[in-house]
Amino acid sequence: MSANGLPRLGSGAVVGLPRALLHYELYPFWRVLFERLGLKVVVSPPTTRDLIEQGARRSVDEACLPVKAYYGHVMALRDRVDAVFLPRLVSLLRGTYTCPKLLGLPDMVRHNVGRLPPPIILDFDETKRGSGLGDAALALGPRLGRTGRQASEAVKAALEALGVFRAALWAGLSFEEAAARATQGPLADRPGGGPSGEALRPPVRPTDWREPAALNGRPRVALVGHAYNIFDPGVNLDLRRKLVGLGCHILTSEMLSHEEVQAESEAMPKEIFWSSGRRIMAAVRRFRRAGFVDGIIHVISFACGPDSMVGEIAERETRRESALPYMVLTIDEHTAEAGLVTRLEAFADMLRRRRRKTGGEGP
Amino acid sequence: MKVTFAHMGNLWITVKTILEDLGVEVVVPPRPSRRSLEVGVRHSPEFACFPLKMNIGDYIGAIERGADTIVMVGGVGPCRLGHYAQVQAEILRDLGYRAEMVILEPPRGHFSALLDKIRYLTGGKPISRVVRALRFGWEKLYALDCLDRALVRTRPLEAVPGGAAAAHRRAVAAVAGAAGVEATRRARDEGVAAVLAAGGAGAAWEDDGEAGGGLPGRNGTPLRVGIVGEIFMVAEPFANQDLERRLGEMGVEVTRALYVSDWVRINLLLDTLRLRRRSRQSVVKEAASPYLGHFVGGEGLESVGETVLYSRQGYDGVIHVAPFTCMPEIVATSLLPEVGRDLDLPVMSLFLDEHSGEAGLATRLEAFVDLLARRRARAGAGRATR
Repeated sequence: MSANGLPRLGSGAVVGLPRALLHYELYPFWRVLFERLGLKVVVSPPTTRDLIEQGARRSVDEACLPVKAYYGHVMALRDRVDAVFLPRLVSLLRGTYTCPKLLGLPDMVRHNVGRLPPPIILDFDETKRGSGLGDAALALGPRLGRTGRQASEAVKAALEALGVFRAALWAGLSFEEAAARATQGPLADRPGGGPSGEALRPPVRPTDWREPAALNGRPRVALVGHAYNIFDPGVNLDLRRKLVGLGCHILTSEMLSHEEVQAESEAMPKEIFWSSGRRIMAAVRRFRRAGFVDGIIHVISFACGPDSMVGEIAERETRRESALPYMVLTIDEHTAEAGLVTRLEAFADMLRRRRRKTGGEGP
Repeated sequence: MKVTFAHMGNLWITVKTILEDLGVEVVVPPRPSRRSLEVGVRHSPEFACFPLKMNIGDYIGAIERGADTIVMVGGVGPCRLGHYAQVQAEILRDLGYRAEMVILEPPRGHFSALLDKIRYLTGGKPISRVVRALRFGWEKLYALDCLDRALVRTRPLEAVPGGAAAAHRRAVAAVAGAAGVEATRRARDEGVAAVLAAGGAGAAWEDDGEAGGGLPGRNGTPLRVGIVGEIFMVAEPFANQDLERRLGEMGVEVTRALYVSDWVRINLLLDTLRLRRRSRQSVVKEAASPYLGHFVGGEGLESVGETVLYSRQGYDGVIHVAPFTCMPEIVATSLLPEVGRDLDLPVMSLFLDEHSGEAGLATRLEAFVDLLARRRARAGAGRATR
């Protein structure tokens, strides 16, 4: 450990990123940042039942599934990295916080996961001047012994990657596609090598969900929820694939641009003060009025605090103001596959029936 | 306009005093009960926190008695309390209840917004009148906390439990009915004396102006347990299943980390106006810092920091109370086992909600107190258990 509380990491040292929680919102940023600072990045393996169980054993019962999964991901990195990155993500958007558990997460991990590699703990807080994503990341370089110039170039590239990632999500790409676009590409000087260059970056396909093409009777289902619940098949029991298998076309709350979220949010009497909650609330309102969405599924972790509130407002509003089918899927480590499949089948059947009755696109 | 608000311990006396002093008609909800809780649980989201469910029960009880306006506090997160008002408004609306919500919250840049709401509630009374009412309310708040403090001091000393509690009940009624600042003070002093008298010569008192602090005149005989946790669960006996009474009757002297009057005096006045060299928050934050390096909303950071402070003050143990699914306290409960190990301090976390059984709690408390008594006995012959 160096004096500033960060581990000493020379060029080529390996830093581990837990593939959980806000990884699904920020991964390209972290990857490009650390690589540009001369480090190798290892991401923990995809979520499995076993990994969740490992994490749950180290966690208090009261914690939610995604936090237990996060513990498991940190444990999976333990013997493979020189340092593990445990960002404290206080706020990702001015006027909002993430969630109390995320505010305490690095400490919870530090005091509960044994044999922890040296942690890199850094606070990111958009509510405080100079502590936002870019500014806080800028401080990381010098603390790891890099020059100010290296640090600012790394942050610039990381922010650029994040921009590409978000634009791709907003256009309708999946997490994997968007992440690939953002992290493979013109970063020709990426350490660790590999083919690179503009030519390899695939063009965004015109999948813009806002002008939907005809789906030949396939129902459009909007999946809303935290990115880590929507995007992690190990946490959501491969929900997306199951729905696609049932003939559904999927939209997600991650497809709303920042401006769309703000426009919906500002129309509320009081804006939601959780970063993801604001997006979820906005997505429900946007999809409800879209006219071409056949049903909404809100994926909630068992005992999730913010979702217990946001979900309640969203569901009551939706039932009052529309006839749109709205399903709440609560998941935890005990959720049974068979029960989930039955519920999804019933929901998809209902959407198809409604579609036939109204005869065409949209309810 | 008939105004109501949710219960939290005896806070209703203070709020009622302030509103009535300003000429506002008040409907106090029936005290929380199995019935009000059932109503609240039935209409609230399953994973909402316990205080929200209890609030809903209170509001419906008050609306059925004629209330048409609900006053409550708001917030800016990340604790869920800051969104209670929106969720509760949705629930009441869908049930067909017509009640207006007046949300008092820390102003975001516009202090005038808060003043507008106060003006609306009071029918445009001048600020000087509002200040006078607050001053009167403060006197009651402080008196009630002094009575509570005297009660927890006396209970473990009683040969036959019940006398102190009865004196406390009478004193609370006297404070509630007191018609002015002077009358309130008289009721407070007489009440404290009566409660202490129930404990014989063992209970002593020194009014140091801080309801929860400074515990003079004790010879360290009763076991001492500090209570930390989410403020509603700490302050509302119905929600915490009468935790202070149960412990007191087992011979334990209980200290609440922070009484509401302390919070008002210290956090709202002294530290906001920067009248002390070190704010209470900074002391608590520093005590928590080896374990938790950031605020987490609600009282999460306080639960950790105050546990450390209790250890430094030689307490025998700490009980941490929180509503089931409470996010800030889930962070605290993840860290408290390590705090307890490091400081050799028994800490017990209780997450309570509508499903918590009484028998289970009694058993856990007995086991905890037994543990503390054994540790005390082991620690030295000079300090007998009782």
